[in-house]
Amino acid sequence: MTLKKYHIKLYLNLNCIYKLQDSFGVNYLIITLKRGQFVMENVLIKKLEKEHQDYLRDESRRTGTGESISFPKTEKEIIEILSSLKSNGILITTQGTRTGITGGAVPEGGHVLSLSRMNKVIGLRYDEKAQTFFVKVQPGVVLSQLRLALKKKEFDDTENWDNESLKAFEKFKNSGEYFFSPDPTETSASIGGMIACNASGACSFKYGPTRNYIEAMRIVLVDGAVISLSRGENKAENGSFTICTSSGKLFKGSVPNYLMPKVKNASGYFTSKDMDLLDLFIGSEGTLGIVSEIELKLLKAPKVHYAVTAFFDQEEKALKFVQSIRENASPVAVEYFNSNVLNLLRREKTENPAFGKLLDLPSHFNSAVYTEYAGNSDEEVEDMLMKAGEIIESCGGNEGDTWVATSPQANEQLHFFRHAVPESVNLLIDKRRKTHSAITKLGTDMAVPDSCLEEVMNLYNKSLEEAGLESVIFGHIGNNHLHVNIIPRDMDDYYKGKELYNSWAEKVISMGGTVSAEHGIGKLKTHLLGKMMGIDGIKEMKALKTLFDPENRLNRGNLFEE
Amino acid sequence: MNIIVCVKQVPGTNEVKMNKETNTIIREGIESIINPFDTYALEEALRIKDAYKGKVTALSMGIPQTAQLLKQTMALGVDEAILLSDRAFAGADSLATSYALSMGVKKINNYDLIICGKQATDGDTAQVGPSLAEKLNIPHITYVNKIEEIGDGFIRCTRLTSEGYEVIESSLPALLTVIEDLNVPRLPSIKNLREAKNREVAILNISDINADSKFTGLSGSPTQVVKTFIPEYNINNEMIEGTPAEQAEKLVDNLLSLGLSVQ
Repeated sequence: MTLKKYHIKLYLNLNCIYKLQDSFGVNYLIITLKRGQFVMENVLIKKLEKEHQDYLRDESRRTGTGESISFPKTEKEIIEILSSLKSNGILITTQGTRTGITGGAVPEGGHVLSLSRMNKVIGLRYDEKAQTFFVKVQPGVVLSQLRLALKKKEFDDTENWDNESLKAFEKFKNSGEYFFSPDPTETSASIGGMIACNASGACSFKYGPTRNYIEAMRIVLVDGAVISLSRGENKAENGSFTICTSSGKLFKGSVPNYLMPKVKNASGYFTSKDMDLLDLFIGSEGTLGIVSEIELKLLKAPKVHYAVTAFFDQEEKALKFVQSIRENASPVAVEYFNSNVLNLLRREKTENPAFGKLLDLPSHFNSAVYTEYAGNSDEEVEDMLMKAGEIIESCGGNEGDTWVATSPQANEQLHFFRHAVPESVNLLIDKRRKTHSAITKLGTDMAVPDSCLEEVMNLYNKSLEEAGLESVIFGHIGNNHLHVNIIPRDMDDYYKGKELYNSWAEKVISMGGTVSAEHGIGKLKTHLLGKMMGIDGIKEMKALKTLFDPENRLNRGNLFEE
Repeated sequence: MNIIVCVKQVPGTNEVKMNKETNTIIREGIESIINPFDTYALEEALRIKDAYKGKVTALSMGIPQTAQLLKQTMALGVDEAILLSDRAFAGADSLATSYALSMGVKKINNYDLIICGKQATDGDTAQVGPSLAEKLNIPHITYVNKIEEIGDGFIRCTRLTSEGYEVIESSLPALLTVIEDLNVPRLPSIKNLREAKNREVAILNISDINADSKFTGLSGSPTQVVKTFIPEYNINNEMIEGTPAEQAEKLVDNLLSLGLSVQ
């Protein structure tokens, strides 16, 4: 690479290190100067060194490979990086904070594009019509930080906000509390990552997944072109769409014809005949473009929150309560813990000092249902609670066997209980891995329609018992979305568990359900997506992928089997 | 087995904010909670009641709003809640507080055991429990982390000391102050909340408990706050740049220059 090949503007001369800019606006750093030849390195792109090893993994514990890494801070820098990588056809894996558990952020060689430093809240808007605020963020903003900033009404970067944002901020400060509702368990998730897999959480039962709160996005395509989409303004018509980039290039395509399952879903590209094109990119797991800016819709926060964990002496009664509470009351969240979960926690409480402060679980507690209620006054929410008590009794339960949290302190106790479940499972898996290192947790993320809840529970319980496998079942039962965690004791169990997992996927698909309701497909569940979408469905998804990323360079390995 | 549990209302926050001009705690906008140590006392009383039958009474001295918190104790299963509330109680130190409480206990009269949290998280004096026992002329055991046995007219407890544990037996009635190792406090159930809804907290004033105003409130408080101030912290941060190896070397140099000895 010589100087002659580029129209380079020299603007810094410091101790023989030159910072240069070529005619495309790409910044370079000359790192050595030998026999009149420049060896140039893009300032933004670094060789992937030992210190970057963490960027080769996510929470799935899968490890990938990569040769270079970058940490852009602006959309312009993303574009620079992409144009540098363009000529060599290098693969690009976009990452947020790598909290995913399906390997979606694990690179398969090439370049790691970490958006973790694009972590600024960049504006605020009040919409009279919607009567709410919209906050504009970069994709690397972490959920817990956003929540805190919204709660405290303090943002780090307001000196760079425009006038409209500052005006809205003044109004925001003088308004009640507003919040961003999607609540995945892992609050260190980035907003970009949440969009990539259309994340949801316990309260998605009432509020719905991330998708419902994305109002606008800017997306950088693999060739560096930028598209800007706002909800309601860019829609498909009769199954076809046209998207225009900022440079005027048109992308024409067709929306897939497959039917979306009528359940909570995070599997494959979204489709509907007259779909909003924003929805195509939400849940696309970084395979279509790189999200560089997002506008999020906020909701007015309810003033009062009560939570209650109700215990039942039989699973049938707990399931009856789930069905009744979602029909006859309006809880924010409905979560389930089966008898194996309670036994696991009983054991952890006595054996592990970290869980010593878990509340005592009397022996007649067999299974538990956690529900949450929100409203604007204590009286209103107390009425909901009393009604829940009546429903518990009518389902054969006892309203004395409940833990009620009416304050943040008490809520922490319930929170601790819920979070102790996956933690205990992970500890157990770590123990097993000491003797069988290849063992991993086999955790499902499938959801079925309301009418199939009992059927799917029977399926899980019966087949686990027949196979003699150790397991716990917990999760978002309000959406018929349970996490079955198989905990293999040895490799034999592990293979048996995998087989069972696949057989469940087939049955769940036949019930009209989904193979992933909130974690996404990533690299670990591509075979399940294949089963769910069928050959034609995958073909339609691939057509969209080829339209926006013809060389298949973005997040390769996600969604599609090689 | 009749048990009285003393309960205090404290600010429900770890982030205490001070008014820099008056050097007093800013209480506006901070929710009040039951002193966390008192929740262990309540739980232990309810467990004893579950095992031995009897009655649990929650007793507090405070502003009228404290009744709300006492109502919460009823939702945990407390049978009766009494609030001593009177302008004459205002400004009490630990001595005047224990006097007022002792008069409240005398009014309740029929009790076998009094349980208090070891201290309140706002004042941190740990004096009210023992002082109350002295005023009532009953034995007390502080820092109890386990009740070993309750028998006919006696109680045996393990208490935490700076060297380890002591097992102490006392006659009843007695007073215990308890620490957090004792138990995990329960949460209310819907059933208890429903029952508590229709019950009232009894509010007693100075004449109801036959207290002498000479010994209550500010006039009964020999402790006076002369000055409060916010401690100042001067911590200087220094960022060390370079590769990990260079950073480590610079850090060691810095520590050595500050007088760290290498053996």
